[in-house]
Amino acid sequence: MGQIIVIVLVRILEGMFVVGIIGSFVVIVLTGIEDLKMLLGREEENRS
Amino acid sequence: MSSFQPPSPLDRVRIVVATSVMLTFISYWRAAAIVLNDLASSAFYACGISEQAVGKSAPWFIVGVMLFSFAVRAVYVESCSMFVRGGVYRVVKEALGGTLAKFSVSALMFDYILTGPISGVSAGQYIVGLLNETFATADTHGWIPRAAHSLFNGTPHLNVNLTSVVFALAVTIYYWWENTKGIQESSEKALRVMQITTVMVVILLGWSALTLFKSGYNPVPLPTPQNLHFSKESLGFLRHSFPEQSLAKMFGLLGILIAFGHSVLAMSGEESLAQVNRELAHPKLKNLKRAAVVIAIYSFVFTGLSALLSVMLIPDAVRVPVYKDNLISGLAMYMWGPLLLRLIFRGFVVVVGFLILSGAVNTAIIGSNGVLNRVSEDGVLADWFRFPHRKYGTSSRIINLVVLLQIVTILASRGDVYVLGEAYAFGVIWSFTFNSLSMLVLRFKYKGVRGWKVPPNVTIAGTEIPIGLLSVFLVLLATALVNLATKSVATVAGVSFSVVFFVIFTVSEHTNRKKYALAKQQMKDHFQLLQSDTVQRDLLGIRAGNVLVPIRDYNTMFHLRWALEHTNTKDQDVVVMSARISQFGSAAYGLSTEQVFNDYEQTLFTRAVSVAESFGKKISLLVVPARDPWSAIAQTAHNLESSAVVAGVSSKMTTAEQAFNLGSAWEAIPEPKRQFLLQIVHPNGNVDTFRIGPHTPTMKNEDVVLLHRLWLKITQEQGLENVHHHDILTEALTRFEKDYGEHDREDIVKELRLHADADPMPIRRIADQIPTVQSEPTRSDGDDGSSGPLAGPK
Repeated sequence: MGQIIVIVLVRILEGMFVVGIIGSFVVIVLTGIEDLKMLLGREEENRS
Repeated sequence: MSSFQPPSPLDRVRIVVATSVMLTFISYWRAAAIVLNDLASSAFYACGISEQAVGKSAPWFIVGVMLFSFAVRAVYVESCSMFVRGGVYRVVKEALGGTLAKFSVSALMFDYILTGPISGVSAGQYIVGLLNETFATADTHGWIPRAAHSLFNGTPHLNVNLTSVVFALAVTIYYWWENTKGIQESSEKALRVMQITTVMVVILLGWSALTLFKSGYNPVPLPTPQNLHFSKESLGFLRHSFPEQSLAKMFGLLGILIAFGHSVLAMSGEESLAQVNRELAHPKLKNLKRAAVVIAIYSFVFTGLSALLSVMLIPDAVRVPVYKDNLISGLAMYMWGPLLLRLIFRGFVVVVGFLILSGAVNTAIIGSNGVLNRVSEDGVLADWFRFPHRKYGTSSRIINLVVLLQIVTILASRGDVYVLGEAYAFGVIWSFTFNSLSMLVLRFKYKGVRGWKVPPNVTIAGTEIPIGLLSVFLVLLATALVNLATKSVATVAGVSFSVVFFVIFTVSEHTNRKKYALAKQQMKDHFQLLQSDTVQRDLLGIRAGNVLVPIRDYNTMFHLRWALEHTNTKDQDVVVMSARISQFGSAAYGLSTEQVFNDYEQTLFTRAVSVAESFGKKISLLVVPARDPWSAIAQTAHNLESSAVVAGVSSKMTTAEQAFNLGSAWEAIPEPKRQFLLQIVHPNGNVDTFRIGPHTPTMKNEDVVLLHRLWLKITQEQGLENVHHHDILTEALTRFEKDYGEHDREDIVKELRLHADADPMPIRRIADQIPTVQSEPTRSDGDDGSSGPLAGPK
């Protein structure tokens, strides 16, 4: 029983990590494009 | 029954409490340099620690962490765009309340406390490594005397860990004393260190590329579960449940996650970005983003690539056994080329490592001091800690506490960088996790203006889902939770430390709440606090041409006595000002009155009022939060249109240096600005007077004679009979400016240096001393902006 709980918890952690890494990769790409525009002087305002 | 009667509201003394910190602003390059002094220092030890934990594929995880740091940086940029001081404490308090803010700040403190020891010990490892290598090389050439041989029973060799401990202790104690004295943080110094580091990085990468081309390389195993080789220590509590290597195979991805967790310390230092944000020049957000890009790219190139190169170039047989704690030195030794050149480069690496790592020791003390000052301002730490040093006015009790904890950590580690690194990661990951969770909560809770948002964001049924923020948080939380299980030393030390600090904060807060209620009542009885965002003359009800008297220590108010003695307050107002130094980590805007005006200020002003009462004269009181006292005095004198500033003599610097510092701060004020006099009063009543700002210089007698002689000659020329002395000066200065800007610059500088060497009084660009030191100043009718009721003879 204990082993099963551990396995479930581990899978949850792995899931969080994978989903997070994929999302973070998107963040890096999008902010990278924004940074590039900023460095080239073509920045768009992103305000709320 | 007490005979005490509170004064009526009309009798109360008005104190204007400014709530915006008076800052001097810096460019994004300098801001990036300050952050990189902390962030880039981890390149010197992160990969060594990671490889010991997870095996030869560690560099890929370091590269992964450095890539991920681009996303973490985005979270910090968003938090800084919401709160000028967007550090962990402020953000978590805003989002999750005081209790979790206290926990998060405890984790951050753990991070800062550990930064010092790991940097100091690591610097020691680099230095001792070089010394031992030099001894060995010298011995092979027979340069070591026999006596030394018999002393060491062979080749001279220093105990690496023990010597590193001694070195770390020496550096920590040095910076403890410097901080107690109150050294100014210098962005200039940070920039210089980063420039030298950049030279080293360029040589390192260029030479490594040449070595790869000439000598080939060892492949770095890909970061797959099969390539992970965890040590017993790196599995922490899990080693009791799972056999050593079966874990990674059982849970393939978990192995990756564990390895990632062992590499997160490579991105320690991101928090510094939030701390320098408030000092960034306009346009703040744009400059913040620029600084963040510079930081992320630089640390990725330096930390990431040097990690990969170390495994590619240093043979397996020596990489971990010999160079695990000074990997970049090892890299220098395995470059292609003659040994002497490699040893010289290794020496350069050690010098750079010393500069950046010892700088990180200082940053750790300054950072911890700032964070504890910040929470102390919020009443979360007893005011006792913030009591200024009797001589230097610094928060020495906090500095003592921080340094004491660092010394204990250094001794407990016995110079083991791995143990320190493992523990360090606890503070790093949990402060990031709290920060990102808070930012996530604030997306729904905070309705104010944001300068920028972490992308991507998707709106579903009118609700914005912050996918980017959520993703970063998930990675950080998963890593932090796994680290709890796999980093037993960090978990035990970090949790114990955080709990102890949390209890101290909670008890202090409870005690302070009671104390503040009483102090608030007393304050209401005696002082009328007027809160103002900026310092304005109207609010104080004073006239232009007033005298500004900065005070700091209630035991040394002789300059206030002197100012009151020599000022007729019917004609001229006296403003007594206290600059509340708000350090690294403190808030910048919208400070509450209690944050700025506290126990100490109350005592200080009570004394000031009693001094004024003893003269029967009225004074106006002002509290100004400031990053730098000189800047605060210069800006306040400017805003209040003061004609003179009367200061006490400093215990740390000469009066000329005091004047120079104030003059430099005056230079930073935008035009238009007016000049004023600085009068520095000695305890014996002597006064040194300086003019701050451009003014008619004091001329030597021989210069006046020379000018007159020239005038006599020139007026004999036909058509120049009506030329004045000042026409000759104008012509001479115009020609001088032209020559200085063109071909004669070097000669002019050389000659001026000769003058400066011959003159015991250093040349002061901004503040010139009036060569009269008088105890009895007289009134002046000066017209050059330097006049004032307290002006001395010119």
